[in-house]
Amino acid sequence: MKKVLMGNHAASWAVKLADVKMIAAYPITPQTQIVEELSEMCGSGELKAKFLKVESEHSAMASCIAASSAGVRAFTATSANGLALMHELLHWASGARLPLVMVNVNRAMAPGWNIWADQSDSLSQRDTGWLQLYVEDNQEVLDTVLQAYYIAEKVNLPVMVCYDAFFLSHTYEAVDIPEKQAVQDWLPPHARENILNTKDPRAFNGLVMPDVYMEMRYKLQQAHEEAVAVVKEAGESFAKAFDRSYSTIETVYCDDAETVLVTSSSTTSPARLVVEALREKGMKIGLMKVRLFRPFPVDDICQVLSGKKKVVVIDRNISFGKGGIFADEIRGAIANDPQAPIIFGYITGLGGRDITPELVEDIVMEAEKNERPERLALWKGLKS
Amino acid sequence: MSDHKPIVYKNCEDVPAVVMSEASMLWNKTGAWRYIKPKYCDKVPPCNQGCPAGNDVENFVRLAEEKKYKEAWLSIKEENPFPRVCGRVCYYPCETACNRGQFDRAVSINALERFIGDYVSTDTKIERLQNDSGKKVAVVGSGPAGLTTAYHLARLGHGVHVYEADEKPGGVLRYGIPEYRLPKKVLDEEIQDIINLGVTIDCNKKVGETIQWEALLDFDAVFVATGAHKSRNVGIENEEAQGVMPGLGFLKKVAQGKKVHLGPRTVVVGGGNTAIDAARTAMRLGSQVTIHYYRSRNEIPAFKEEVDEAQKEGVHFDMLSEPVRVLVDGDKATGIEMRRTRLGDPDESGRRRPVSVEGSEYSVDATTIIIAIGEDTDLEYLPSEIQEERGRVIVDAFGATSRPGVFAGGDMAIANHNVAYAIGSGKAAAIAIDAYLKGSHVSDIVAQTTIGEYGAMSMSHYIEAGRAHAKNRYTKSVVSYNDINLNYFEEQERSKQTKLELSERHQNFKEVHQGLSEDQIQNDAQRCFHCGVCTMCDTCYIYCPDIAIEHKGDAAWGYDINFDYCKGCGICVHECPRNAMMMEDE
Repeated sequence: MKKVLMGNHAASWAVKLADVKMIAAYPITPQTQIVEELSEMCGSGELKAKFLKVESEHSAMASCIAASSAGVRAFTATSANGLALMHELLHWASGARLPLVMVNVNRAMAPGWNIWADQSDSLSQRDTGWLQLYVEDNQEVLDTVLQAYYIAEKVNLPVMVCYDAFFLSHTYEAVDIPEKQAVQDWLPPHARENILNTKDPRAFNGLVMPDVYMEMRYKLQQAHEEAVAVVKEAGESFAKAFDRSYSTIETVYCDDAETVLVTSSSTTSPARLVVEALREKGMKIGLMKVRLFRPFPVDDICQVLSGKKKVVVIDRNISFGKGGIFADEIRGAIANDPQAPIIFGYITGLGGRDITPELVEDIVMEAEKNERPERLALWKGLKS
Repeated sequence: MSDHKPIVYKNCEDVPAVVMSEASMLWNKTGAWRYIKPKYCDKVPPCNQGCPAGNDVENFVRLAEEKKYKEAWLSIKEENPFPRVCGRVCYYPCETACNRGQFDRAVSINALERFIGDYVSTDTKIERLQNDSGKKVAVVGSGPAGLTTAYHLARLGHGVHVYEADEKPGGVLRYGIPEYRLPKKVLDEEIQDIINLGVTIDCNKKVGETIQWEALLDFDAVFVATGAHKSRNVGIENEEAQGVMPGLGFLKKVAQGKKVHLGPRTVVVGGGNTAIDAARTAMRLGSQVTIHYYRSRNEIPAFKEEVDEAQKEGVHFDMLSEPVRVLVDGDKATGIEMRRTRLGDPDESGRRRPVSVEGSEYSVDATTIIIAIGEDTDLEYLPSEIQEERGRVIVDAFGATSRPGVFAGGDMAIANHNVAYAIGSGKAAAIAIDAYLKGSHVSDIVAQTTIGEYGAMSMSHYIEAGRAHAKNRYTKSVVSYNDINLNYFEEQERSKQTKLELSERHQNFKEVHQGLSEDQIQNDAQRCFHCGVCTMCDTCYIYCPDIAIEHKGDAAWGYDINFDYCKGCGICVHECPRNAMMMEDE
């Protein structure tokens, strides 16, 4: 069934299809419609889930942790400062190895108050142990939330699905909604060991001495490393079931490219147009969309970028004092490769400013012109 | 845990991924941490405290919500023989007390009571609670107080003989309250329930005339409730003129079906319920009606809703006006001279006292003048050993007079002249008479039977006194609005009763209030907070962090608390939406 849905409602539909049993959320623009729609689904009875109104995002995450500890599928969604308020509990969710799913609608951090697209909110949670996926369009929103449960439950780690405020959250697109039965066949009911059991109560998340803490951290890192393969496997099996395939990254014209443009989220869409146009003009350019950010798919990325002349990364985010985070991650991933390309890291589109095809082309042509970047963080689109 | 062995993980693989104890934690009886503990205890909902008749309001609302209308009716009938009467004429102090009134609007308790009463078939029988005691009680007066006493005493197994001076039973319910507020058919049917219990109602028997006081002393106990029906005179010139009549006398004539000729213009003097009833009755008989009251609309003692209805029906109000003298042509009244008043300082009732404005006299034409400024008791038939004060028989909280074995209630003994109080006083006396006949002391049971602080009596508590579960009831702790956990409630519109169209209220006595539909009843029953009464909503069960609250199982009512694990954190008590739990010391 196809429906014209805003990105936020695509997320709500996925939650409904995944048979989530507990939703706890606190409203924040631009996330609100996700949970608004879910509350109506719960209210009408079409989704048989407990909808918990909470007083803060901190409580929303705490409630999801509790529900997931009790063995049910839980969901929440937030944005920007709401996500920041959850910070402590993000560590608890991953440390407790809970397969939670959260949608974060990427919004700029305040102050100044800004409700528009910017990835700095979720990227500044990159070390919390959550998986992070950045998606490009509304169909991918729906498909990725479903895959998020599939992945989370295989690796026992929480998954954050991120997409851009307004460009996706509030923009309507045709979305193919899979049949409930097909989703159930592909995503079996959640069953897990180590859940709260009143008949055999255990103590959870207690004190861990130095003699084992490190091993537990090691195991968490191991789970992340294994998750790369699980994300791919989820994408492949999803493709078999629903005819739409996904992976850790997506490449366009990269095989023979000398320059590779790297994007994530909705920025990928104008980049596709630019790459197509430049290819027609004879330029050897390719495009790599990074979908999985945590775990960072180092091998997949290096395989594509090794031996290229230049890599141009567009970041709608910033790690202050360093630069664009995707660019930095790629530099770190490929540093030891003897055939590492020159990496141009561009920062643009912060706080919801448009990233137009013209801007993308401007970035590509500037990088093409210069042999090396003048500095680590290049800004594009600043008022002159 | 001296046999506790430390767990040693030999290698990285051994270390679990999840931070979770290796063994069950059941050994850890967290109940040992507790120094205060939760307890289930039902408290008094403010509606129950507010009902002078002592209805278990919360209980019948809940039963109605469950669509158990017959059980709801039986619940009311346990306390009050007149749900259909009260559902029509009570001024619902329960709704004034209702905590929901501070949230959005009070639950429509009065209309619920009426619906329940009307819903249940008149064939449904009320059972006697106890076998024939062999004792006989005389009841003098068949108004709401007398009939209530008779009803409860009959249920408690006593023989009851009611003496009534008029030709039919009901007292003020029949002769004082007009048909458009209380249809006689409804009254007759509820009185029939009392007769069906074996009560004899002996009409046309007036003590001091057709029967002598001494004859009553043959009974094991006597209850007197002859009301207050002697209309007061204003004490003005020509008050005895033809065309001047007392309010209650006028209402009685109409109720008896006697022809009353009012002429085109009726003046009613007074602002009480009798005045309003008389005005609305006169209007229905085709006369133009003006009410004169010597204070302002703010001080008028009649029920506000009745005053509003009277105004809507076209009754004129001339406030701040007092009668000076009746104007006559021969012995026939032609009008009344009135004088303006102004409001002075408050009197002992807190209402501002009217002060005459000299020189402001004016005349009002009238073909009939109805004086309705209050009614007094007639206590002349009582022997002197029964003490009186300011026109009332002196009684204790249970209606006992100064003569052992003689009890009194209703308007002749209590200050609040309205039906619910009369019913309450009748019930209190029934309890006292039953105790007196059994040789027990009412003082022993007063704590268990009195609900709240205003003297409402519970028959069910009296009957059940001494039974185990009665101990868990708090009869004095009344739940206030601040005790309710409002997070659990949403605003919801109160159901509104339909009323007879104004155009249909002339030349007839059709009932004005038309009650609520079942859907409306359900809406309003669901609005009830159930203050202080457990509804098994499972909030405590869900929130207990130690899973120490358990269902009793097998549909048994209530919960068990596992004190091995209850830490005494109090979350259950804190979360309880209706304050049906409390913490107590270990």
